[in-house]
Amino acid sequence: MKPPRFDYVAAGSVGEATEALASAEDSRVLAGGQSLVPLMNLRLARPSLLVDVNHLGALSGFESHNGTLRFGAMCRHRFLETDPDVRQKAPIFAEVAELIGHVGIRNRGTLGGSLAHADPVAELPALLVALEGRVIVASTGSERAIPAAELFAGPFTTGLEPDELLTTVEVPAHRDGDGGAFSEFVRRHGDFATAGVAVILHRDGFGACEQVRVAGCGLGPTPMDLSAAGDFLRGESSLTDGAAEELGRRVAAAADPPGDVHGSKDYRRELAAVLAADAVRRAWARAGSAGGA
Amino acid sequence: MTKVRFSLNGEVAEVEVEPRELLLDTLRDRLAMTGAHAGCEQGSCGACTVLVDGCGVRSCLMFTVQVGGSEVRTIEGVGSPGSLHPIQQALSTHHGLQCGFCTPGMVLTALELFETDPHPSRDRIEEWMSGNLCRCTGYVNIVKALEAVAGTAEEQL
Amino acid sequence: MSVTAPPQAPAETGAALRRKEDTRLLCGQGEFLGDVYRPDLKHIAILRSPVAHARIRHIDGSGALTLPGVIGVFTGGELAAETGEFSHHLPMIPTLRQITWSVLATDKVRFVGEPVAAVVADSRYIAEDALELIEVDYEELPAVSDAEAGLDPEAPLLYEDWGDNVFLFMPGSHGDIEAAFAGADGVLQERFTHHRISGLPMEGHGALGEFDPATGRLEMYVSTQVPHTLRTVISDISGLSEAKIRVVAPDMGGGFGNKAHFMREEVLVAVLAMRVRHPVVWQQDRTENLLSGLHSRQQVHEVEVAYRDDGKILGLRANFVVDVGSPELYILGCAPAIVTTSVVPNCYDLQDYAFELRCVATNKGPMGGYRGYGQPQGIFLMERVLDLVGERLGIDPVTIRRANMIPDEPRPYVTATGSVLDTGSFGDQLTELLEAVDYDAACGARDEARTAGRLVGVGIAQMVEPTAPNIHGLAGRFGGYEMAMLTVQPDGRVNVAVGTKSQGQGHETIYAKVAAETLGISPDDVEVSDGDTAALPYGIGTWGSRSAVMGGGAVIKAAQQVRDKMAAIAAGMLEAPAEQIEASDGFFRLGEAAIPFAQIAAVAYLHTFLLPPGMDPGLSVVVGYDPGNTSPFPDERGKMNVAATYSTAAAAAVVEVEAATGVVTVQDLTIVHDCGTVIDGVLLDGQIHGAVAQAVGQTFFEEIHYDENGQPLTSTLLDYMIPTFGDAVRARIIHRETPSGLIGGFRGAGEGAIIVTPAALAAAVHDALVPLGVSITQSNLSPPRLRALLRGHSTA
Repeated sequence: MKPPRFDYVAAGSVGEATEALASAEDSRVLAGGQSLVPLMNLRLARPSLLVDVNHLGALSGFESHNGTLRFGAMCRHRFLETDPDVRQKAPIFAEVAELIGHVGIRNRGTLGGSLAHADPVAELPALLVALEGRVIVASTGSERAIPAAELFAGPFTTGLEPDELLTTVEVPAHRDGDGGAFSEFVRRHGDFATAGVAVILHRDGFGACEQVRVAGCGLGPTPMDLSAAGDFLRGESSLTDGAAEELGRRVAAAADPPGDVHGSKDYRRELAAVLAADAVRRAWARAGSAGGA
Repeated sequence: MTKVRFSLNGEVAEVEVEPRELLLDTLRDRLAMTGAHAGCEQGSCGACTVLVDGCGVRSCLMFTVQVGGSEVRTIEGVGSPGSLHPIQQALSTHHGLQCGFCTPGMVLTALELFETDPHPSRDRIEEWMSGNLCRCTGYVNIVKALEAVAGTAEEQL
Repeated sequence: MSVTAPPQAPAETGAALRRKEDTRLLCGQGEFLGDVYRPDLKHIAILRSPVAHARIRHIDGSGALTLPGVIGVFTGGELAAETGEFSHHLPMIPTLRQITWSVLATDKVRFVGEPVAAVVADSRYIAEDALELIEVDYEELPAVSDAEAGLDPEAPLLYEDWGDNVFLFMPGSHGDIEAAFAGADGVLQERFTHHRISGLPMEGHGALGEFDPATGRLEMYVSTQVPHTLRTVISDISGLSEAKIRVVAPDMGGGFGNKAHFMREEVLVAVLAMRVRHPVVWQQDRTENLLSGLHSRQQVHEVEVAYRDDGKILGLRANFVVDVGSPELYILGCAPAIVTTSVVPNCYDLQDYAFELRCVATNKGPMGGYRGYGQPQGIFLMERVLDLVGERLGIDPVTIRRANMIPDEPRPYVTATGSVLDTGSFGDQLTELLEAVDYDAACGARDEARTAGRLVGVGIAQMVEPTAPNIHGLAGRFGGYEMAMLTVQPDGRVNVAVGTKSQGQGHETIYAKVAAETLGISPDDVEVSDGDTAALPYGIGTWGSRSAVMGGGAVIKAAQQVRDKMAAIAAGMLEAPAEQIEASDGFFRLGEAAIPFAQIAAVAYLHTFLLPPGMDPGLSVVVGYDPGNTSPFPDERGKMNVAATYSTAAAAAVVEVEAATGVVTVQDLTIVHDCGTVIDGVLLDGQIHGAVAQAVGQTFFEEIHYDENGQPLTSTLLDYMIPTFGDAVRARIIHRETPSGLIGGFRGAGEGAIIVTPAALAAAVHDALVPLGVSITQSNLSPPRLRALLRGHSTA
């Protein structure tokens, strides 16, 4: 089980990286490599050129700026999990990063890599959709933003062009009254989720629900935006068990999950109901407490 | 072919490799560091774990060209027959290894754990180690050994 | 010549490490197959069928040959012309299809992953590049992906000349089954299903071959549990004499029965080593392993059980349909299923038992042995039957077991299928289990939880296990004996060579201990070599929970012979009868007088003039050990004693089911285990913990999936899930030690926990689901499977 031949460029700058990406058919970015390299070892991916962006300082780091949280695409999961600044200002990212794989995977795997890989069962794409974030992508001489809603086109398919490099991830900064939670079902610690649900909601100064965002992983061909399932909660100032379960039912109905060896469509719908109810309870409580998540 | 220089267990290693050569294969086939084992070559089992700049990584998911300038530590750089590392000693004492194929990866993953958190709880040990598969021991005695190293061993049955 | 013995034994050195094996393994200095180094080593990659069933019209390897670094490209037809063929060596079974096959597929492929062609190249990378350049023209055929569907008269045929897909038909009838049903108060009809799993050693199969044309000698390093018998098979097919072949099994990353078969790839390596005149290595990668190396367990049981209203089981009829996948595997993949049929009566007094076994060839990877070897299914059947009959009659699980249990006397007890049980008391074992778990309290706690709406269940199961069996009836040769060589060197240090092969069980430590105890020396002075055909004439290998019993027995027998010779030397030197000499603590003693062990050794080699008149120099023996109580074949009534001795176990599980997700939490698992005399309790518990984890894995995590076209859906460890940290169940283990009558008093130890635990877990889950009226009749209780059972039941 060995990868096929490829050319390799260790990019020294974003410009070098985008130029290299544009220089060859079937070029691919090598970020953490935790999804790409297994596929190459299995010879299911056969890039002709790998553009290694692991040494691009411009792609690392986290900052909060003018109401926006900005992550360098090369933020590793382990950084999201442990960085005190991330844990304080973007705790939902830390919570989700902890769910990804195992420490050896998280030491290498990156935020940008996960989003660009667009695995429909991965957590971070669903989180980005729930947060209505966006990514900044660079190509030779230009840059553009792609909102999460447009980023994920299908399983393992994004709106990125082959010569584009995902450089930055942006999500709205936390406001008072925000609360979020991510609930997932895994068979074993560190597995890809059989199903997962992110709930991000906002409660006003009186505790009433203003906005509910819901997205899922493992529940469709892309990280699905299931927010419509939560519309009924708007204006509510308390979350009853019945309402949490109702959200679960609506999420399950709206989901379009695959059936595979990890669970049938029916099974994933059942999980979605349980997970959505759990996530909304936790998000609701956090939205009502100082700090939130 | 690309020339790659890195530090291997504190000594300079220099190899010429194709870009596609996996770090695991370079360590095993060119540098005679056969303690890292190929268990799945898909990043799922942890038997090939080595430390790169102090972080546990799956050496089956890194290309050797990526470690230029890095410090790589393998099981051969942890303990030796005459002076075992406490993790190695504990694994023997508590019978936390049987066939031993996964053991080097276990030791290196645990090494990073104890450098991060010298006194992990059982839950923390199990979470941290969960990317390293073992088919022989049922994990019970590995956890027991690591709890002993941590000094947090719960009263055992 | 005598000196006075010190009063105390010398302090044991090196006690800091638990096992002799540990130092090298902990330091990354073990030598697993992939670590064996040869300059100029070439790598083999194998082209495998991407289709489940097809005729091979044409193979063109010319493109691959042009790739720089490629040394050779080999196809099945080409190699078959020059080599012998595999067969099952069982012409005496008329209802077994007699087939032969080659190292690579020739005319047809019958499963995804079947080896079709091989490349030898400078590196595995180049070899895999070359595989992509081999062109194979397949004429695809419809596939059989399910055993029961394969029995349909309209099913596609894997072997057209068979006329159907039944690889083995085996009926059996014991006692008077008609009378049993005629006298019954009721009859239970049930269907039990067992899913397909894989043993999944962390190190896959692999082999390295090196041929020396000057001497005609072939040296093979193979990750195998059976190096000597593999040598015989390599000889069969390569045409080389066994005298020219050396097989070494180096350190092994697990085996669990998967490596107790003779893989066609292993022989392929031998053949290619002879062809290319370079040392060559093939290391099975994980995908190859999941496709072809090997699968186990999948069976369907249809049973009818005649019972009396007092709970006594009067008779049992069973119809076993077994999905053996491709039958092209030696030792045959039906073997575990044959064992299943033989263990069904379990530890119960059931003499009226009839069955029909159909092993169906399907377009799936070959079925083979895996820890437990057919027994988990047979025990599951009987244990589920008792609970289900008890449920019908309102008799609790303990009472119905006691009502059917084999009584304590007489021993031996001969089962319906001919097993000659030499066990301890089943009743006492069960009592010990119930006391250990405080069974009544556990049931009370379950009832309370149930009242609170929680799905908590308690289940028990028992088993009796044939250990150290005779393989002759399943392999057509090899038998049930073992060999050992023991040499005391001139310096008094000891070499032991055995024919069993450790895959992690710690045999170096165990054999050193039993040899040292017999010789009266320290285990530190004993070096054990296993798995090298050059070190010992023959051996039957490690499988069937036989190493302690057969290997240990052989080592003790060898040590006794050498000790007796040394005692005779000492007797001559002390001028006393040999019977009065004792060996202990490194001395041969006669009262106060003592001669150091090493001094006797020196006499035997270096100062031979001191030997008693007529005694040959040297201290080395090779022994064969066969207790002689097993049968190579069934008798005219279809009965046979398969095993040299029998182990027993009983287990209790407490579980809780989360209805919404189908997740089962094992709250307690307690195992009472009797493997006779215990050699090393810590290593023994290690075996049991490992077997429990595998039982938990097969019950809640693992399944080999195929689609209806025979395409495998579980070819990576992301899809085939074995338990990891956090999934471990910390079993409580209690040992009873009822010595067997064999040398050392040992019974087999490695498999009992994986045989009894699945049945106990199923019983507990069944019990948990009583409020929902869901019955557990399947081995697969993974969350999605369990959830599918619960779906539609009211409160779930």
